[in-house]
Amino acid sequence: MGPNLALNVEEVAAVILFGIGFTTLLLHRNMIKKIIGLNIMDTSVYLFLAAMGYIEGRAAPIVENGVTDAEYYINPIPSGLVLTGIVVSVSVTALMLALTVRMYRRYHSLDLDEILIRMQREELK
Amino acid sequence: MNFVQNFPCFSIVLCMVAGIISTPLKGKGAKRVTLFIVSLVALLSFVTLLYILFTGTGFTYTMGRFPAPWGNELRAGLLESLLATVFSLVVLCSLLGGMDLIFTDIAEDKVNLYFILVDLLLSSLLAILYTNDLFTAYVFVEINTISTCGLIMIRESGRSLIAATRYMIMSLIGSGLFLISIAMLYGVTGNLLMEYIHVEILELAASGQYQVPLLVIISFCTVGLAIKSGLYPFHSWMPDAYGYATISSSAILSSLVSKSYIFLLIKIFYCVIGFDLIVQSKIVNVLFVFGLVGMIMGSVSAIMAKEIYRMIAYSSVAQIGYIYMGIGLATEAGMVAAVFHILTHAVTKSLLFLSAKGLNEASGRKRVYPALQGAAFRNPLAGAAFLIGSLSMVGIPTLAGFISKLLFATAAIDGSQRKMLPTLIVLEVSTILNTIYFLHTVVRIYTPVGAPEEYKDVRIHPTPGRIGALVALILMNFGLGLFSQPITDLIRAGIEMFA
Amino acid sequence: MMITWMFGAAILLPVLSGLFLLLRRGKIQNRRLKCVGIFLVMALTALLAVGLICSPDYELTVWRLTDTISLTFRLDGLARLFMGMTVAAWTLGGVFAFEYMKHEENEDRYFGFYLIVLGVLLALDQAGNLVTLYLCFEMMTLTSLPLVLHNMSHEAVMAGLKYLFYSIGGAFTALFGIFYLFANGLTGSFTPGGYLSAGTVSYTGTTGMTLFVLLLIIVGFGTKAGMFPMHGWLPTAHPVAPAPASAVLSGVITKAGVLAVVRVVFYMVGADFLRGTWVQYTWLTLALITVFMGSMMAYKEQLLKKRLAYSSVSQVSYIMFGLATLTVDGFVGGLAHFIFHSVIKDCLFLCAGAIIYNTHRTRVDELRGIGKEMPVTMWCFTIVSLGLVGIPPFSGFVSKWYLAVGSLGSGTGVFTWLGPVVLLLSALLTAGYLLILSIQAFFPGADFDYADVKKHEVNALMTVPMILYAAATLLLGMFPGTLIGFIQNIASAVL
Repeated sequence: MGPNLALNVEEVAAVILFGIGFTTLLLHRNMIKKIIGLNIMDTSVYLFLAAMGYIEGRAAPIVENGVTDAEYYINPIPSGLVLTGIVVSVSVTALMLALTVRMYRRYHSLDLDEILIRMQREELK
Repeated sequence: MNFVQNFPCFSIVLCMVAGIISTPLKGKGAKRVTLFIVSLVALLSFVTLLYILFTGTGFTYTMGRFPAPWGNELRAGLLESLLATVFSLVVLCSLLGGMDLIFTDIAEDKVNLYFILVDLLLSSLLAILYTNDLFTAYVFVEINTISTCGLIMIRESGRSLIAATRYMIMSLIGSGLFLISIAMLYGVTGNLLMEYIHVEILELAASGQYQVPLLVIISFCTVGLAIKSGLYPFHSWMPDAYGYATISSSAILSSLVSKSYIFLLIKIFYCVIGFDLIVQSKIVNVLFVFGLVGMIMGSVSAIMAKEIYRMIAYSSVAQIGYIYMGIGLATEAGMVAAVFHILTHAVTKSLLFLSAKGLNEASGRKRVYPALQGAAFRNPLAGAAFLIGSLSMVGIPTLAGFISKLLFATAAIDGSQRKMLPTLIVLEVSTILNTIYFLHTVVRIYTPVGAPEEYKDVRIHPTPGRIGALVALILMNFGLGLFSQPITDLIRAGIEMFA
Repeated sequence: MMITWMFGAAILLPVLSGLFLLLRRGKIQNRRLKCVGIFLVMALTALLAVGLICSPDYELTVWRLTDTISLTFRLDGLARLFMGMTVAAWTLGGVFAFEYMKHEENEDRYFGFYLIVLGVLLALDQAGNLVTLYLCFEMMTLTSLPLVLHNMSHEAVMAGLKYLFYSIGGAFTALFGIFYLFANGLTGSFTPGGYLSAGTVSYTGTTGMTLFVLLLIIVGFGTKAGMFPMHGWLPTAHPVAPAPASAVLSGVITKAGVLAVVRVVFYMVGADFLRGTWVQYTWLTLALITVFMGSMMAYKEQLLKKRLAYSSVSQVSYIMFGLATLTVDGFVGGLAHFIFHSVIKDCLFLCAGAIIYNTHRTRVDELRGIGKEMPVTMWCFTIVSLGLVGIPPFSGFVSKWYLAVGSLGSGTGVFTWLGPVVLLLSALLTAGYLLILSIQAFFPGADFDYADVKKHEVNALMTVPMILYAAATLLLGMFPGTLIGFIQNIASAVL
C-alpha cells in the first residue's frame, strides 16, 4: 500500500482534492465557497487525468521541429480531455457566478439558507 | 454507408445550428426556426428507427477523421432512435402547448434566448442518447445541465433563481462524480469508446485485476447519474424547479431531462460495464432500495403538497423511483419495464403539466387547491386532459400507465424471489397513494363547491397550439397503452442490441 | 356478426347518449321530451340486452393489449343473470328518477352518468378475462362516482372521496393479485371450474402465495360488496346520493364486487383449490362478521337511508357467505340472494326516496303514521321487508333456505352450524329494523293524531316501479323454480 501511494502521489493528491472540493460544494452554505469547491473538484479530476497521461521525459503533444514519432510525445488524449473539461468547468463556473450575482441582487445575501428564509418571508407577505 | 446513417449526427448538429441561427433573430423568428428543426429532428429520428427496424441491426457512425479506438463515435440502435423520436415529439408538444406563455412569462428581449436554450437542450439530449463515447457523454451532460438551468431561471422570479441554483449544485455534484468515474475508467482501461472499454473490462474481470477500482468506478458513476436524475433523496430541487419555471420548461424538464441520464446509466450498464458485472457488484440492489423508498416518499410528499404543480413534481419523484426499481430488479424484463416507464412518464408528465397550466389559468393563475375547485368546468379540455393523465398514472387499462405497472409486476414476479414481495407491496402501496393524490385532485377540479366567486364565469378558450399539444399527448398515451406489445418488443430488441 | 353489432350497440348506445346528455346539459328545455328520450334509450338498451341474453354463448375479443392480454367479452350463464338484473334495475330506477329528480338540481348530469354507468355495467357483466374485468370495474367506480357526488355539498364530496378511495384501493389490492396470477401463467379467459383445480395450464406460482393473493382479491373486490373490513364507504355514500342512485348502487353496483369474486374464484382458480384452506375459513369468517355487524348497525341506525345501507352491508355478505361455502347449494343460494336482494333493496331505497320526496322526512322516528299518508309506498315497503326477513312465500326465504342447506353440507367444521345460526340471528335483527317501521307506519299508536294526516301518495312514475318490485318479490318467492334451475345450471358447471 505505502509504496503504491508514494509512486502515485499525483493521483493521491487528486483524490484528496476531489474530496475537499466535493464536501465544500455539498456542505458549504456560502455560494462563493461552493463555487470554489466546484473548481477544486473539477481541477482535481484534471490533475488526475493529466498525471495519467504524462510519461516521464517526453514532450507535450504539440508537433515540434517536424518530429512525428509517437515515442517523442506524451499521451495526447488525456490532455485533450483536460482541455475540454476546462472549457466545461469554466462555463459552469460562469453560470454559477451569474446565478449568485442575480440572487445577491435580489436577496442581498450569499448564504443559501439565509436566501431561502428571506424568500419564504417575502412570499408570506 | 447508407445516407440514413448520417441522421443521428444530422439531428444533433441541426439543433445546434438552429440555436446559432436563432441568435440574431427576434422571438417570433426563433420560434419558427425551433419548431421547424424540432419537427425535422422528430422525422429524422423516426426514419432512423424505421431504417434500423428494416435492416435489423444498429450502426456506429464515426465522427471526424479518426477511426475507432481513438476517434469519436455515435451509436444508433432501436432504443436510441425510439427514445429520440419520442423525446423530440414531447419537446414539440411541450413547446406548442406553452407557446403563448413563453411569450408572456419571459421578457421580450429574452424570448429568442429561450428557444436557443431549447435547441441546445434537445441537441444535448440527442447526443446523450446517441453517443458512444463516455467523455462526449460527460460534455453533453454538462451542456444539458447548463441549458436546463437556463430554462428554469429564464423566468427570473426569485423562486426560479433559487430553484436553478439548487438544481445546479445537485447536478454539479452528480457530474463531478460521473467525471471522476470516467477519468478512473480511462485510467484502468485506456479507452473512451464504450465497446472498447467493455472488452477491457471483460478481460479485467476474467483476470481478477483492479476489482476495487472497478467497484469504485461503478458506484461513482451510478450514484452520480442517480443524483442528476433526481432519485430520492436527491430530489429536493425538483418541486421548485418544475413548479416555478414557465410551463413548457416544466413539461420538458420533468419528462425528458432526468430520463436522459437514466438512459445513459442503462447504456453504461449494458455497453460499458456489462450487465453481469453490474449484477455482481450489487449496486443494482442499492438502486432498488432507493427506488422503493422514492416511490413511497415521493407519493407521500405529493399527498401533502398544497399546490398542483408541486404535487405533479413530487409524483415525478415517485415515478423516477419506479424506473430505478425496474433497473434494480436486475433482469431484462425489469429493464424493459423501466424503459417503457421512461416513455410512459415522458408522455404523461408533459400532459399533466400542460393541463395543470390550463386549470391554473382558469383559476386566476392561482396554484393552490382551493382556487382550482371546479376548474375543469372553466377549461374543459384541460380538465379532460388532466383526467386522462391522472388515470394513466393511476393505472387504468388501455392507458400507458397500466402497461408500465403490469410490466413492473411481471418483471418482479419472474425475477428473484427475494425482491418479489417488496416490489409488489411497494408497487401496490404507491399505486394507492397515487390514486389518492391524483384522483383527489380530479375530484377537486370537477366539483365547483366553494370555488371562488370571481372565477365562476371564467371560460378559457385554449390556443390552437395548446389544443394540438394536449390532443397529441393524449393520443400518445392511448397509443402506448393500446399498442404496447410492439413497443415492448421493440424495447426488448433494443436492449438485446446493447448486449 | 349480428351478435357483435348488438353487443357493441348495447354498450355504446347508453354510453354515447349519456355523453351527449352531459355535453348538452342544461340546454334541453323540454323536460318531457328529454325524459322520453332517456326512457327510449334505456328501453332500447334493455331490448338489446335481452336480445344478447337470449343469444347463444359467445366470446368476442375487442382488442389485444399485448400477446397475452386482450380485452375480451364473453356471454355465459352468470353474465346473463347479472345483465338481466342490471337492465331491469336500471330501467325501473330511471323511471322513478324522472319524478324524483325534479326536486334535485343538475338532473342532466345525473341522467348522463346514469346512462354511462349502465353501459359500463353491461360491459362488466360480460367481461371475459381478468384485465377486462378490472378495466370495467375501475370504469364503473369512476363513472358512478358523480352519482354519489350528486348534490355537491361538502358532505357529498367527502362521501364521494371515501367511496372512491375505498373502491379504488380495493380494486388495486385485487389488481396485484391479478398481476400475480397473470405473471404465473393464468392468462386465459374465464372458464367454468377454473384452471388450477383442473390443472389445465402450467402454473408456476406457489400454493401459499396463490392463496394469499386470492385473499387479497377477495378482500379487494369485496370492498365493492361492502365486506368487512372494507365496508366503511357504503353507509357514508348511500345516504348522500339521490334515492334512485342509492337504489342502483346498493342493488347492482355492490353486486359487481360479488361478480368479480365469483369470476376469480370459480372461473379462474377453481373452487377445489380453495376448499378447506385457511383462505376459505377467513372468507367465511369475514362474511359472517359482516352479516352480523351490518344487521346490528342497521338496528341501531336512526337515519332511514343509512339504515338501509347497513342492511345492504349485511345482506350482500349473505351472498358472500353462500359463495364461500363452496357448495352447489351455497352457490345457488348466494346467487339467488343476489337477485332477490337486488329487487328488495332497490324497492326499499325507492320507497325511502318516495318518502323523502313527498315529506322530506329522513329519520326513522319521523315516520309514525306515514302508512296513512302514503299507503302504496308503505305497502310495498312492508311486502319487500317481509321478503328480506325471509318469511315464506316471499323470495328471501328461498335463498336463505339454500344458504342454510349449503352451509350445513359444506363440511367446514364449526361454520356448518355457526353459519345458519348467524343467518337466523341476522334475520331476526332484519325483522327488528325493517318491520318495526311498517308497524309504526300503519299502527302509530292510540295517541296519534289523525286529524292533520292527509293521504297524498306520490304519482305513478314513482309507484309503478315500487309495485313492480314488490310483485317481483312475491312472484319470485312463489315460483322460484325457473330462476333456481337456471342458477343450478351455472353452479353445476363451476362446482
